Amino acid sequence: MTLITTILDGQESEASSLSRSNPAIKIPAVLLALAASASWLATAAVTYYMPDVIDFGRVPEFAALSILIAAALIAGVIAGIRQPALGAKVRRLLPWSLALGIFTLIWQLLAGKLGVLPQPFFPPPHGLLEVFTDDYPKLIEGVLASLRLEFLGFAFGAIIGFWVGVALGWSRTFGYWVHPIMRFIGPVPSIAWLPIAFFAFPSSFSASIFLIALTTGFPVAVLTWSGVASVNPAYYDVARTLGANERFLIFKVAIPAALPHVFVGLFMGLGASFAVLVTAEMMGVKAGLGFYLQWAQGWAAYANMYAALIVMAVMCTGLVSLLFKIRDRVLSYQKGDVKW
Amino acid sequence: MVGATAYAHEPVAAATRALDVHSVSHAYTLEGNPLPVLDNVGFRVEPGGFVALLGPSGCGKSTLLRLVAGLEQPVRGEIRVDDKAIAGPDPSRVVVFQDPTLYPWRSVYDNVALGLEAQGLLKTRRHRVDEALALVGLTPFKKAYPHQLSGGMAQRVALARALVNDPEFLILDEPLGKLDSLTRISMQGEIVRLWQQKGFTALLVTHDVEEALVMATRIIVFSDRPATIKADIPVDRDYPRHRDDPGLVELRRKILGLLGLEATW
Ligand SMILES: Nc1ncnc2c1ncn2[C@@H]1O[C@H](COP(=O)(O)OP(=O)(O)O)[C@@H](O)[C@H]1O
Ligand SMILES: [Mg+2]
Repeated sequence: MTLITTILDGQESEASSLSRSNPAIKIPAVLLALAASASWLATAAVTYYMPDVIDFGRVPEFAALSILIAAALIAGVIAGIRQPALGAKVRRLLPWSLALGIFTLIWQLLAGKLGVLPQPFFPPPHGLLEVFTDDYPKLIEGVLASLRLEFLGFAFGAIIGFWVGVALGWSRTFGYWVHPIMRFIGPVPSIAWLPIAFFAFPSSFSASIFLIALTTGFPVAVLTWSGVASVNPAYYDVARTLGANERFLIFKVAIPAALPHVFVGLFMGLGASFAVLVTAEMMGVKAGLGFYLQWAQGWAAYANMYAALIVMAVMCTGLVSLLFKIRDRVLSYQKGDVKW
Repeated sequence: MVGATAYAHEPVAAATRALDVHSVSHAYTLEGNPLPVLDNVGFRVEPGGFVALLGPSGCGKSTLLRLVAGLEQPVRGEIRVDDKAIAGPDPSRVVVFQDPTLYPWRSVYDNVALGLEAQGLLKTRRHRVDEALALVGLTPFKKAYPHQLSGGMAQRVALARALVNDPEFLILDEPLGKLDSLTRISMQGEIVRLWQQKGFTALLVTHDVEEALVMATRIIVFSDRPATIKADIPVDRDYPRHRDDPGLVELRRKILGLLGLEATW
């Protein structure tokens, strides 16, 4: 109650004057904050006081974590009264916090406490927490291995694809020889190369780099090519009348003009490369998150599989965000387009 | 004009060579058929002249400028600079196109610096970029990107990008065609002032009779496509010129008549 009165009647802070001018936004925010933290407190109570169907570890830890989330939400709202910027951020998080709280509560009830969801296929939330707290060295090792493979394959593919695309866009001779090859091989899913790659390359690691590079390189080459081909011809006229040579036309006109296309190709290549990464790790590379998944399945360690999936999601979305950041930087002259 | 004095100390590369368009014919291929565009066009421009090329839309004026710039070779005839046939583009002949065609990924400053960079002169002549920007009054916008500029400002940047090379021939292809009438009139004055100050030879394509009259020392009127020269009219008037000058009004009537428009005036 004091919270609501503070927000509604507070006179000193500048946020309180905001609240009086716009109370319709503040009151639901407070109710939402209370509801969200209540959902997490309920999750904590159910976790701690109801007995597990099957024993999973980390019950008190997960209950504590839930309480922590509830407390953080309240603390965030209170701190937001003084700091409008923080307050706005917290308010934006509230609906999702409530939805996740309710989801976790139902999940805990159905999986952990009532056994409605068949066990051990659907572990409760503290089952996942247990994987993170107890198996994190293996998970980190897996992430690092996956990142290494992904980075090498993506970098090779992006660089080669980029130059192939530039050459296709620039040189008729190169286009004559390479275009038919690209049309013939390009549409074949890279995974189809997997059996051949695994015996043709000295190691499954290098084979996987090849497969990821192939997957990334194809869309990058095609998009770079189309980017170079669609450069406004007037750009070349301008540069030529100003004394530009061919080198200048390629590096200072064609390539910068094509970069927006190149980034589309990089995004397509990155998305496609994840599928190859995981498949390669499951099929041959004895490391990485894909391998971890495979291994967890072998041991029927279902909680580990879900945990690995979550880590994989974070990793992939992180890489996509990173590429967006790089693009926004490189193409900063454009007005902001899509937000990831 | 802002910063005109900053340029006064610079050596002025006045034009010394004549431009000779020597019985030039040109044609494009359109859907397999030849499309004649220029038909035996010939004229000579003395160093430091300001010649306006006037003609109906689509008659071949831009084509002629592309030939003068060296971007294309004529099918027949030759264009010479002091008896030397033009074989390709050269920074002594710079074009300002109808669209500013600034590079969107370059700032205003870097767009203006383009010619110096392409010729490998940026290190030694960097100061010229600032001078050219001052000349067109865009110094405060040098860090802006093209999408942040108005049409008139973008066209000024294109002008600065051409002037930074101190061209002997400035080739202007309807550079003011898309501007509002106020910006247009003020830029007409600015271009004339630059021409007087720097002494380059100017070749201006326009379809605006008045623009040709207030700017040029000579007006060449073209026929419909394929373009032939219909008239070659000297404009012996002092600058700055006034639009209501009876001599110019008389010339306008004559030129509009040549273009088949006397009924509307
Ligand atoms: N690259 C080209 N290919 C084919 N036809 C062209 C090309 N460029 C111009 N033309 C044609 O040549 C004619 C003259 O064009 P242009 O010189 O641009 O006219 P203007 O500048 O006088 O309006 C037009 O009919 C145009 O369609
Ligand atoms: Mg034209």
